[in-house]
Amino acid sequence: MRKAAVILAIIANFYGFSQNKQVLYNFTSIPQSLLVNPGADVSYKYYFGIPLLSGISANVGSSSYSAYDLFADNGVDFNDKIRNIIQKSSSNDKTYINEQLEVFSGGFRVGGSESQSYVSFGLYQEFDFLMYFPKDLAILAVDGNQNYIGRSFDLSDLNVKAEVLSVFHVGFHKKINKKLVLGGRFKMYSSGANATSTQNSGFIYTGQNTTGIPNIYTQIIDSNLELRTSGIAKFTKDEYEGSIPGDVARNTFLGGSLGLGIDAGLTYYFKDNLQFTASIIDLGFIKQSKDIETLTYKGKYQYDGVQPNFSNADEPENIFDEFEKAIPRDTLYNKYTTWRPTKFNASIQYSFGEKRSDEECNCKAQSMRKYVNAVGAQMFAMTTPQNPFIAFTAFYKRSILEKLDVKATYTLDAFSNKNIGFGLSGTIGKVNIYALVDNILEFRDVSKANSMAFQFGLNYVLQDLDE
Amino acid sequence: MKLCLKKRVFTILCLSLLFISCSSDLDFNQTDDFKLEPVFVANLVYFDVPAHDFVDDGTEHIVAFDAEDFDVFKDKFFNDNLAKAEFDFEITNTINRAFTVSLLLLNDNDEQLETLDYEVSAYTGSANISKFHEVFEEQRLDLLKQTTKVAFVIHIKAGSPLNENSLGNLKLRSSATVYMEIE
Repeated sequence: MRKAAVILAIIANFYGFSQNKQVLYNFTSIPQSLLVNPGADVSYKYYFGIPLLSGISANVGSSSYSAYDLFADNGVDFNDKIRNIIQKSSSNDKTYINEQLEVFSGGFRVGGSESQSYVSFGLYQEFDFLMYFPKDLAILAVDGNQNYIGRSFDLSDLNVKAEVLSVFHVGFHKKINKKLVLGGRFKMYSSGANATSTQNSGFIYTGQNTTGIPNIYTQIIDSNLELRTSGIAKFTKDEYEGSIPGDVARNTFLGGSLGLGIDAGLTYYFKDNLQFTASIIDLGFIKQSKDIETLTYKGKYQYDGVQPNFSNADEPENIFDEFEKAIPRDTLYNKYTTWRPTKFNASIQYSFGEKRSDEECNCKAQSMRKYVNAVGAQMFAMTTPQNPFIAFTAFYKRSILEKLDVKATYTLDAFSNKNIGFGLSGTIGKVNIYALVDNILEFRDVSKANSMAFQFGLNYVLQDLDE
Repeated sequence: MKLCLKKRVFTILCLSLLFISCSSDLDFNQTDDFKLEPVFVANLVYFDVPAHDFVDDGTEHIVAFDAEDFDVFKDKFFNDNLAKAEFDFEITNTINRAFTVSLLLLNDNDEQLETLDYEVSAYTGSANISKFHEVFEEQRLDLLKQTTKVAFVIHIKAGSPLNENSLGNLKLRSSATVYMEIE
C-alpha cells in the first residue's frame, strides 16, 4: 500500500499532459519546430543542436485534480482529499505526462546556395504516460461495496499506458515554389519499456436478493482484464539484481522493440501574408517483441459463500481454488503491436506590418517580404484510447528585434479554458536560444495548475546571411 | 551599436528565462496518513435442509454434520488488513422440531477456536425466523483469523419423530461484513 501511495504521489507530482506544443508550432525561427511540422518554412545553411540541450520538453496535465487538491497543507485530512478527488473525477478524466529530450539533432541544406531543400535529423528520447481516472475501482478501494448494493463496478475504467522510447529520425523539406513548402520525416522507434492495459472490460456486482433466490447476495465478478508489457517482465522476477533505470535506458537506445513511423507536413502561402500549415506527426507503430509478457484475468465467478451439504459426504470446496479456476491468471508471450499517439496540427496565419531591418542594408536573399506581426489560429488533435484529444489556439507572434521573436498563445482544451502560453526565440551570435512555457496564469500558484508544459533548447544555426 | 543590441537581446532573454512563479505550501508527508477503510459485504454460509434429510431408512438422526474449508484468512493481505468482521445469520425453520445449529471455527489442526450456537424454535404454523449477529473484534477477531475450516452441526431437540414424509425445511442464510483498514 505504501507503493500505491508513492505511485499516487508521483502521478500527482508530474500531473498531466497533452503533447500539444502550441507555442512551438510554426515558430519557424526555432529549428525544432520541424519536429511538429516537417513542412514548416524553416531555412538554414546548417544547424546543430547543442547535445542534450537542444530540446528539453515536458508536458504534464491532469484534467480533474491538481497537486494542491492532493497535497495542500490546509489541515484537511489526506484521505478526505482523496475522496473529494474521486468524487469530482469521472472515468473520462485523464492524467498525462510527456517528456522529450533531444540527444543530438542537426540539419543542412542540400544542393547549391540557390537550393531550397533541407535535411534534418536527430535522436531523441521520449516518455509517455496516459491514464484515465479509474473511478469505479477507486470507489471500491476507498468505500467497499457495502453502500453500493445493486451497482456494477465497471472494470473498463482501468485504462493506462506508458512507454519509454528513443526515436531516430531523418526529415526532408523543400520549398517547391514561392507558395509551397512540403516536408516529410522518417522515424525509427526503439521502445525500451511499454505497458499497455487499454482493452479491459467486465464488472464487479453485488445485488441484494429478495425472496425466491436463496442466498442473501448475488455476487458476480466478470473479468476481461489484460496487461501487455514489453521490456518490463524481467524486472518483476525475484532473481533480478540489476538497476532498472540503467537497463531501461540501455534497452531504449540499444536493442529495444522496433517500430517505424512517418511525419508529413506542408506550408502554403495564399498570399505573401496569408499562410496555411498542416502536419501529421507520429503516424506509426511499434512491434513489441523484446521481453514481452501479457497477463490476463479472464472469466466469470459467482460467489455463493460456504454451502455445507449434510446428506452426502462431499469434497470440501475451496473458495480460492474455485476463484482461480473461474478467473485464471494467464501469462502469454505473444508479440503485440502498439500504435504511437498520432498528432494532427493545422494553422492559419495572417501577417502585417512590414519589417524594417536594423542592419545597414540587407538586400540579398530576401525573396519574400518580412512582416513584424502575425496573428492566427491553430488546431491540435491527438489519438488516445478513448475520444481524441482536441485543442484550439489563437496566437500572436512578433519580431521585437532583428533576432528576437516572441509568440503568445491562448489555448482551449480539456485541461483548461484559459491556457496562456508564451515563447521567446533569440539569437546571440550564431546560437539560437528558445524557451517556451504555457499556462502562464497558473504560475501564480503552480500547485493549482491542471496542466503545464515547457520547452527549452540551444542550437547553433548558420544562415546564408551570416556568411 | 550591434554589440549594444546583442547585450539588450541577452538581457531580455535572461530576464524572461526567470519566469517568476509561486506555489502554495504543499505537504507531501501527508501520504503517511494514507489509509483506506473500505467495507465489504459478502455471502457467508447458506444451506437449506428438508425435514426428510434428517431421516434415513425410517430412523431419525439427531445430529447432522459437515465440514468445509474456509481459507479466506490464509490470504495475507486480507488477514493483515482486516480490522473488524460482523456475521449476520438468518435461520428460517418450517419443521415442527426445535434445533441447535452450531458453527465450529477450526484451525489447520482441527482445533476448535470458537463455537457459535444458535437455538431455533420449532415451527408452529407462524413465521419462524431467528436472526443472530456476531461481532469479531480484538481477541475474537484474532481467533477468527486463524480459522481455516468451518464445521456445521445441526442437533435436533426432542419432539415428535420425523419420518420420510415430514414437511418443512431448515434454512440458513448469512452474510459477512468486513471492515478493512489498509495503510
